[in-house]
Amino acid sequence: MSKAETTPPPKATPPPKATPPEKTEPPAPAFEKSYVDQITNQFSDDVEVEYIKENRTRVNVKKEKIAEVAKFIKDNTPFDHAESVTGVDFPEDKEIGVVYHLGSYTDDTYSKQVLALATRVPREENPNPGNDSTKLPSLRDMFYSVEFHEREVFEMLGVYFESHPDNRRLLLPEDWADLPPLRKDFRNKGR
Amino acid sequence: MSVIAPKFRLGYFLKAIFDNAFWILTLVTLAGIPAIQIALFFMPLPVIDGELLTAFLAFTWLFNPAMQIPLIKTLLYSDLFRIAAFPGFGFAALIAAGTIFVERKMLAKLQLRVGPFYCGKIEGILQLAGDGLKLISKEIIIPAKADKPLFWAAPVLFVGTAAAFVALIPVAPGGWVVADLDVGLLAVFAVIGFFPIITILSAWSANSKFPFIGGIRALHQMVSFEIPLILSLLGVVILTGTLNLSEIVESQSNFPWIIFMPIGAIVFFTTMLAELERIPFDLPEAESEIVAGWLTEFSGMMYGLVQLGSYLKLYAFAALFVIIFLGGWTGPVFWPPLDTELITEGVPIPNYVGDPILTVATPGLPLFDKDPNEWVLQEQGELVYTSGQLLISGVIWFVLKTVGVIFFILLPRGVFPRIRLDMLLHIGWYKLIGLAFVNIFIALGLVYAGVIGPGGIL
Amino acid sequence: MTEQVIPTKQMPPGLQVENIDDRIMTLNVGPQHPGSGHMRIIVKIDGDYIVDADPDPGYVHRGEEKMAESRNYITNIPHLERPVIHDSCNILYPYVLGVEDLVGIEVPERAKYVRVITAELNRCIYIQYWLAIYGIFLGHSTMFMWPAGDRELLIDLMEKITGARVTHAYFIPGGVRNDVPANFEDVCLRQVNYFEKRIKEYADIFYDNPILKARTEDTGVLSKEDAIRLGTTGSVLRASGVDYDIRVKEPYDVYDELDVHTNVLKAGDSYARSKIPWLDMLESCNIIRQALEKMPKSGSIRTKLKPNPKGGDDEVYRRVESGRGAAGCHIISKSKPEPYRLKLSVGSFRNLIALPYLLKGEKLGNMPAVYWSLNYWPVEADR
Repeated sequence: MSKAETTPPPKATPPPKATPPEKTEPPAPAFEKSYVDQITNQFSDDVEVEYIKENRTRVNVKKEKIAEVAKFIKDNTPFDHAESVTGVDFPEDKEIGVVYHLGSYTDDTYSKQVLALATRVPREENPNPGNDSTKLPSLRDMFYSVEFHEREVFEMLGVYFESHPDNRRLLLPEDWADLPPLRKDFRNKGR
Repeated sequence: MSVIAPKFRLGYFLKAIFDNAFWILTLVTLAGIPAIQIALFFMPLPVIDGELLTAFLAFTWLFNPAMQIPLIKTLLYSDLFRIAAFPGFGFAALIAAGTIFVERKMLAKLQLRVGPFYCGKIEGILQLAGDGLKLISKEIIIPAKADKPLFWAAPVLFVGTAAAFVALIPVAPGGWVVADLDVGLLAVFAVIGFFPIITILSAWSANSKFPFIGGIRALHQMVSFEIPLILSLLGVVILTGTLNLSEIVESQSNFPWIIFMPIGAIVFFTTMLAELERIPFDLPEAESEIVAGWLTEFSGMMYGLVQLGSYLKLYAFAALFVIIFLGGWTGPVFWPPLDTELITEGVPIPNYVGDPILTVATPGLPLFDKDPNEWVLQEQGELVYTSGQLLISGVIWFVLKTVGVIFFILLPRGVFPRIRLDMLLHIGWYKLIGLAFVNIFIALGLVYAGVIGPGGIL
Repeated sequence: MTEQVIPTKQMPPGLQVENIDDRIMTLNVGPQHPGSGHMRIIVKIDGDYIVDADPDPGYVHRGEEKMAESRNYITNIPHLERPVIHDSCNILYPYVLGVEDLVGIEVPERAKYVRVITAELNRCIYIQYWLAIYGIFLGHSTMFMWPAGDRELLIDLMEKITGARVTHAYFIPGGVRNDVPANFEDVCLRQVNYFEKRIKEYADIFYDNPILKARTEDTGVLSKEDAIRLGTTGSVLRASGVDYDIRVKEPYDVYDELDVHTNVLKAGDSYARSKIPWLDMLESCNIIRQALEKMPKSGSIRTKLKPNPKGGDDEVYRRVESGRGAAGCHIISKSKPEPYRLKLSVGSFRNLIALPYLLKGEKLGNMPAVYWSLNYWPVEADR
């Protein structure tokens, strides 16, 4: 792994993060850099590279452009399925982040790569899922595998995915009448 | 499991004895004796030694050693004994109970388990009694919207029909069958045709989705396998020329029919598995899809009755297979052939004081009868057997063959998964009917070629 | 289903609109059903054909990810292994690897080998359980008893190592919790050899059984393109002809030093999907034998962590091949002892999308065969 692996005893200092591209092995980030550059060259100011590490890259996209970027990735790069969709709640920034991890089954050289496609939507204090400003376009037409993952993000965080055919709850009981659980202001009892 | 004995208190012990005695006496006088009187009222009273045997005379004679044996013999030949004990309900229920136990043990050993183990001192022998008691003690729950008269009647009808089936099976030479009909095989078909009706009625009256699906599946299955069942047996009917089950067995005294009708035997075996709803054909009770199929809503003793009926049917079908294809009770008589003289008059022992006579004659006992009661002394080679010896050996051969067939019915349960409905219907309507017709053509060919059958070589 | 948005705060409980049709019957193959596992499938059937199948997971949803946010990295371990109690090592594996990346420690060599051995044992334990339930769904009671019985051999091994039959809580960031017992290599080798002999007998009773073949061949066929498009993983993917196994493609711990062979079948039907885990088990026995040979005979099994380990302002995503498919763990940390967000991406949840897709148009009799062949573990999908 590309992080600090030189000394066996645990390190007290967190590893540095500010300078991703100039790390120890040039070849691997170059390969990742190549396909990330494909995306940044196409959509120059709407995307921003968060990090390029060995086998893991992350690209932040504005929420208006996420559907186009996803379509571009689906058509022009070998990434053909989404492995998981993570929703993250940032109450200080008043935003909710959604991270799609994309992988590739068809191309052998890309089999280790996971591209994280991240976006953020504004967050409201009193959520009304479906009827407030936390909306994102659904990536189901490009990556079919996100269907159930997006339903889970909808019920757990309140992010409504437009053009998703079926925004219903998946894991929560039908009579859930409380805040979406994964938000930070939903506290577990006793913690 | 050991029982930790509580401390013994004399007062409690005496109280327990008194309680038991009280209840036994009450039940016997209030219920038992009137029941016996009623039963004896309807039985035709026999005449022994010129005296009409009433109930009180019977009880008196029980203690007279000279009259005990004729008394027992009369009871043995009465209709009640035939219906209730042998070869009727009691015999069948005993074999059914044995089947259930053997099934559980055999499957367990096949599946690396032990099976019933704790109930009863040796390897769980009393498990069935325990299960029966448990089922009796359970509450019978009827669904609220079920059709109550039908729902209550269904298990009873099921056991009744199974018992009717058992009543047609001859077990031993000499007419040991509850209902000796000349069209015995046809009556068997009629009774078998009754089972799908009962299944669908009980499924419909439960008024719930899973029994409904199970009942429809049971109907499909039973109806589609009835035709191959009937056709496969017709081959033997053509060869023997009679529908009477006892005569079919008599005709196999030299060779069983399975030698000439192997295809018929295979077809009958497969349809038998389907009619009994045994694995691989246990769709109506497919547990993983429709909970328990048409048995879902039965609880407590109703479930027990259905299971009893199911295993009675198993015995009856296996016995039918044995009768038609395997030769019923025929087989080498292994009871040692005794000299007829030894039975009729007795052989005097020479050179002994007082001229004693050696005899095994026990007057009246069906085993060594001086008067064979219209049975025929049969000749096997040069040995001559009395009817009693034939009876014993016949019954033992019959039981052995039935148990063997039952073993082969139980075996697929450990080996096969369940079959699917459309595959089942495909088999029943296409393949089995075709094979049954091939079988009939073989039978016809054998008859017209003059090999077997009335006026044939064999 | 129609498009509906149900606002959380004003919703009357459980209200849903559904059309009633004369021909179509709605069946709840629900949690209280011997053929469903811990989840509900709402099946609409027209005669014998399934018109629509709507999976309804969430019966055993426990909020693992929410709970993980209020516990630190070490106390997260016992509850994170609960989604799959018998495959607990493989569920913890991506989490432990991710935490090691975040905190920045290196695992000693012997610990890596022990982790690989226990992970493969757990995979076999899980697959045996899955095979047992597959047998009983098809009505084959012997196929229920044999895997459940043979599994006990491996559970005994796990109990010798970790002290618990299931939910071992054996992996920790930095290695494993305790060392294997003294004569472990011989005992393990003997039991694994016997185990392999036993599972080879399954071919006779199950995989060559004509009724099983007639029931599962050509049912629920998932083509290669569909498998990739639906994002399936694990045995479902490999049964449709895609050669993808994370132990080979992105090896972790010592898998790059072992010889792992991926089993791929092309048919894509339920029969292939039921055969691949069995072939995987045979493969696991090989891996365990190789690992037992190559394991260093002595060495430390754990790198000690400082109390309250914390990562920096970082995120990590590690994946591992578990019994059901690729299990991934996405951890976002913000310089605190607790993770800021922990997401488990589990194989069962990813394969769930194939269930309504495959069941439409199937016969009702095929439903258990297809549903369970997707290697779906309901508890894991619910987390």
